[in-house]
Amino acid sequence: MVDKGQVISLCRSLLRAGRQYPDYNIREYAKRRTLDGFCTKRMTLDGFRMNKNLTDHSKVEEAYAEGKKQMEVVERVVKVYLAYPPKTKNIMELKLQ
Amino acid sequence: MASLSTSSLSFKAPSVQSTRTSQVLRKPLSFQPISFGRFQSSKNLRLQISCAAKPETVQKVSDIVREQLALSADTALTAESKFSALGADSLDTVEIVMALEEKFNISVEEADAQNITTIQEAADLIEDLAQKKPAA
Repeated sequence: MVDKGQVISLCRSLLRAGRQYPDYNIREYAKRRTLDGFCTKRMTLDGFRMNKNLTDHSKVEEAYAEGKKQMEVVERVVKVYLAYPPKTKNIMELKLQ
Repeated sequence: MASLSTSSLSFKAPSVQSTRTSQVLRKPLSFQPISFGRFQSSKNLRLQISCAAKPETVQKVSDIVREQLALSADTALTAESKFSALGADSLDTVEIVMALEEKFNISVEEADAQNITTIQEAADLIEDLAQKKPAA
């Protein structure tokens, strides 16, 4: 049974891993996707908070397992990206400075 | 705080018999009522110093919170406002903590992040970490 704390820590670790990308594009994408993914999870989290509905629990478990898989993917891809960092800075990053 | 001081008093009692250095410690203990007050006031002073986060830090934290939660400009944000009172759930808190980490270039532990509930606490934590970082 997945509890709220685990979901929260999964969210944090996904966000942290996504931050490591040297490439601006995929960094922003990872951030956006985790937050969107967890927003829909928020619906299931609310279901978990009301904690009356068994089917919601199974959805939460599915979503959690999915999140774990994505975490592995992100970590793997981070290593590849770090091996070949982009040579020039993305223009979006220059503007943020 | 009262429990702390009583425990410290009981700790001192067995060490009284030992070395001469403990005699120096013994002296304030003999004036028990006075040392009680002294102990408390020094503890208070220490608490005050560690609690005082700079107002700029608090302001920056408030800005980030305002941006993350998409609050309008006229919602009053004091240092004591709780995130949950502003309409943030735990995922929003995670986002806020992440944004603060990026902004202040610090790294917040899991346990610390769970305990942040108000803007003041966040600012204090940031100050703590900012101080520890150059030392490391």
